[in-house]
Amino acid sequence: MTAIRDADGPATRAAAEHAAPAAIRAHGGELVIDHVFHDYLAGGRRTDVLNDVSFRIPASSVACVVGPSGCGKSTLLGLAAGLLRPSKGALYWDGAPVKMGPTSHLGMAFQQPGLFPWMTVRQNVAIGLRTRGHSRRDAQATADRFLDTVGLADFKDAYPSHLSGGMAQRVGIARALALKPRLLLLDEPFAAVDAFTRLKLQQEFKTLLRLDRPTVLFVTHDVPEAIAIGDIIVVMTQRPATVQRIIPVSRGERDRASPAYARKLAETLECLGVTSDMGGE
Amino acid sequence: MISARPIVRRALLPIVGIALAVAAWEATVLGYQLPAIVLPSPKAVVAALRELLVTRAFWRDVGVSLYEFVAGYLLGALGGIAVGVLMGEWRVFRMMATPVVESLRFIVPFAWIPLTILWFGTAFTGKILLVAYAVFFVMVVSTTRAIAQVEPTLSRVGTMLGMGRWRLAWQVHLRAAAPTIASAARAAAAIGWIAVVAAEYVGASAGLGLMITNAASSLATPVVIAGMIVIGAIGAGVSALIGWLSRARLDYR
Repeated sequence: MTAIRDADGPATRAAAEHAAPAAIRAHGGELVIDHVFHDYLAGGRRTDVLNDVSFRIPASSVACVVGPSGCGKSTLLGLAAGLLRPSKGALYWDGAPVKMGPTSHLGMAFQQPGLFPWMTVRQNVAIGLRTRGHSRRDAQATADRFLDTVGLADFKDAYPSHLSGGMAQRVGIARALALKPRLLLLDEPFAAVDAFTRLKLQQEFKTLLRLDRPTVLFVTHDVPEAIAIGDIIVVMTQRPATVQRIIPVSRGERDRASPAYARKLAETLECLGVTSDMGGE
Repeated sequence: MISARPIVRRALLPIVGIALAVAAWEATVLGYQLPAIVLPSPKAVVAALRELLVTRAFWRDVGVSLYEFVAGYLLGALGGIAVGVLMGEWRVFRMMATPVVESLRFIVPFAWIPLTILWFGTAFTGKILLVAYAVFFVMVVSTTRAIAQVEPTLSRVGTMLGMGRWRLAWQVHLRAAAPTIASAARAAAAIGWIAVVAAEYVGASAGLGLMITNAASSLATPVVIAGMIVIGAIGAGVSALIGWLSRARLDYR
């Protein structure tokens, strides 16, 4: 509901652009999340995870979802990927409802990288391209290129059991990017990566986005990362989660040395219940 | 010294174990003054074994038993894996098949021996089907379980990459379950081999089991024990071969 109310405010034009309207007018490359509810049964008890979530990500935009842990951010990704079904509401991609099952438009990096342990790193990245009909040569060349990008050129022939958590996560990112997806879903992709590599990967990632310009739904709990990468920041509430606020990020606000960045950081953190005098990272 | 010790241990300790077992056997024969008809000494059994190994009939019996085993094992294992995969992947099929599997798998293969003799006489077919039966249920149950235990993230990854249901079953689930299925296959081989010999004891026209019952009825006890040792050695060999194959083909490290 919050998202809809935002849309009514005259001063928040940017936010209005991102809130799902009552009548769905989704365009190519646009992801619309329209009044989505999700719950699950565990041990006979129903747990509400998402409680009326609505927002939209325009084509080629990056939305970063932040919120308290366990608030259903990963669930949101599962819904957008067609791996989960909403209990109420709907999601639309390219103007059509998101279907369950295998797809050809999306790439996703999971929180648990989920690499196939019987395949080498290169095979893990190439398998998606093979599945989608690319030739073996093409798939391997693309896999090599993206492994270079995430800094794992020396580990192409290693098996996943030989990788550290951060390295495995980078393979997961390379696997998602190598698909050249039109919709990219990332679940805390840099969580297991050390701080320095993380900054480097964020930069590489933004460069890659400029090339293929996919629509991105990026879950993170790192607010500076959300400001660095996102065009909009979707702040979620505690579970059962709804959208608390949608904060647009402009170019000038990404410069970490600028007062605009500090203001944006304070504003976002305040939404999350952190007062600005504690601020910082 | 440091590097030699494990090698010495690995080579020596099994020999020590076998030597101790043979010594206990010899001691029993000597201590109780047992006649060769009741329990022959190890030396007599070795002599009987040496005689056996050069007769054509013995190798024919080994060949018959192995043939029955291999044919039945392949039939049962491949069928069991196929049904197990179907049960793991397809809920409707699982719900239909579970009661049948659960009620049949507790009927030991040996309970079927009278019926197989009635239906197939002493021919190979009855033995092959009996081995297949023994192996089949072990493989069905462990394959279904192994597929259910595949890490759910791997399924989500497969779907995300664009794999349809059966491609996911073949390329991800079956492959992820393969090491577990392989160790079940090894256990099933032991059960299958036991089933062959047991069936031959009761009714056969050739095979190691028949050889042993014939030797027993002519009171050639050293031959009986020699035959038993051959059965044990072949079983261990088959099991080791399957273990080696699964390590060579399925391991990733």
